[in-house]
Amino acid sequence: MELVKKTRLYDWHLAHGAHLAEFGGYQMPLWYTAGTRAEHLAVISAAGIFDTSHMAAVSVDGTEARLLLERCFTRNIGAESAKGALIPGRCLYGLFLNDDGTVIDDAIVYQLAAERYLVVVNAGMGGPVAAHLTANRQDMAVEVTDRTDHLGKLDLQGPAAVAILAGLLRDPAAALGGLGYFAFRGSLADLGGGQPQGTIALDDGTELLVSRTGYTGEQGFEIFTAIDKLERVWERLIAAGQAHGLLPCGLAARDSLRAGAGLPLSLQDIGPWPFLHNPWQFALPWLPDRRFFSKDFIGASALLKSNWPKHTLAFAGFDPRKVPAGPDSLVLNKEGENCGTILTCTTDMAIDRQEGEIISLAAGPARPVKGLCCGFVLVDRQLPPGSRVWLSDGRRRVEVEIRTDIRPERTARRVLHLPNDNRLPVEGGEA
Amino acid sequence: MKTFSDLIFREGFRYTEDHEWVGTAAEHLEVGVSDYAQDQMGDIVFVELPDEGAVFAKGEQFGTLESVKAVSELYLPVGGEIIEVNSALGDSPELINSDPYGTWLVRIKPADPGQIEQLLTADAYRQMLQG
Repeated sequence: MELVKKTRLYDWHLAHGAHLAEFGGYQMPLWYTAGTRAEHLAVISAAGIFDTSHMAAVSVDGTEARLLLERCFTRNIGAESAKGALIPGRCLYGLFLNDDGTVIDDAIVYQLAAERYLVVVNAGMGGPVAAHLTANRQDMAVEVTDRTDHLGKLDLQGPAAVAILAGLLRDPAAALGGLGYFAFRGSLADLGGGQPQGTIALDDGTELLVSRTGYTGEQGFEIFTAIDKLERVWERLIAAGQAHGLLPCGLAARDSLRAGAGLPLSLQDIGPWPFLHNPWQFALPWLPDRRFFSKDFIGASALLKSNWPKHTLAFAGFDPRKVPAGPDSLVLNKEGENCGTILTCTTDMAIDRQEGEIISLAAGPARPVKGLCCGFVLVDRQLPPGSRVWLSDGRRRVEVEIRTDIRPERTARRVLHLPNDNRLPVEGGEA
Repeated sequence: MKTFSDLIFREGFRYTEDHEWVGTAAEHLEVGVSDYAQDQMGDIVFVELPDEGAVFAKGEQFGTLESVKAVSELYLPVGGEIIEVNSALGDSPELINSDPYGTWLVRIKPADPGQIEQLLTADAYRQMLQG
């Protein structure tokens, strides 16, 4: 039997009153003493820091690394130096699919340098994704290395994230100035040499790789370090963040924030069924006519031929009431017919309804916000935005609205402003 | 997560295996959830309670508590009529987290006051949690 693993920050979590639970094979904090609500709201109005070192990373290096990723990953990597292609210092969100179009995992692919890539996947998925890449490399000149538990990672998210990080950096303007969404800078010796994204270091010399990505919908960073530096970086950011209202946040707030941002949880909202008819089709290389793909990749032909009848749709309720998600849950239409199941159901505590419209705490509403139930359903028919369905466990019924978006006023894509400098040039658009 | 020694137990209250407590007031009983229950659930964001005047049997579900992640069912420890629900919980469900023993959910007129003697004492409840 496999033992439950601990991250390098386990002792810190324990010493700071974390409520722990197993997730992805690791003992992880669900919340700390401030509680999930305060943690969720901190990320909307100040900042939160998350231990994400349970996530896994796979290196893909070699002259044909690009070829292998183009074949296995759903996003267009593109020919080296082609217009719109992935370039060093940029990353892409996409998926690894099976031949039948079902999901192995979602991932972010970072191009570290020519012929060098880092694939960041979910907890426990380093092995399976590395095995999938290896099985499909044929005779390509590429080396696939599972770096599970050998790379430190934490997420710093929220509108104050940039000020907190900048305050600890040796040269904040060089590190963060003009850093666009889905761009990154810095390099790590652990990932090998030849990474041209410069060096980002804390004032004590600790090297970081800083990516303008995250899983909350809010502005912030995913920060990579050498595994033995993780605790030090974590503690320094927490100390620096105190004056900004930073809170350490557990997986419960991470889940409610990502659901409100409309982001899927792998193997819950996406999983062993065809990756079709869902809010995340931007992760497939559809041509504008939405009938064909711009490249071939593993799973492409199955998706094009699929007659998968179900639809994954986002919803938001009218108060915080929820129904537990899972295979036994029901989604009822107004005639009372069961048309599906609930994939995710949580409370985004930073939003509420005002005359029917969803408002966010971020907009500074006059009344306190109480939170709204939100998440994703898998239903057997297409339902237009605005449709009403009822979530049920067989006894209780909670009315919700099908939506294209949930939490408004999200900050993830906003231009990064360094403290005391509002005139920094902005790099191009998102990935 | 509270360590066992940090958990609060209110002496004089009676407890159920589902982590509700019962306290005796002048002419009625008050029902709430234990410190252990609120600590396990985390932040409570919504409380669903019955109408005043509703009658439930012992062990019957009378409401739900919702944390961010979970929905927990509430079972009445002693059968009887709901004579009052705590209306403050509509706006401030977090009171259950901050003061679990000072925050009653419902007040009931028990059908059979003797039923309270069948519930766990604070000591027995403490021992049950210790396993």
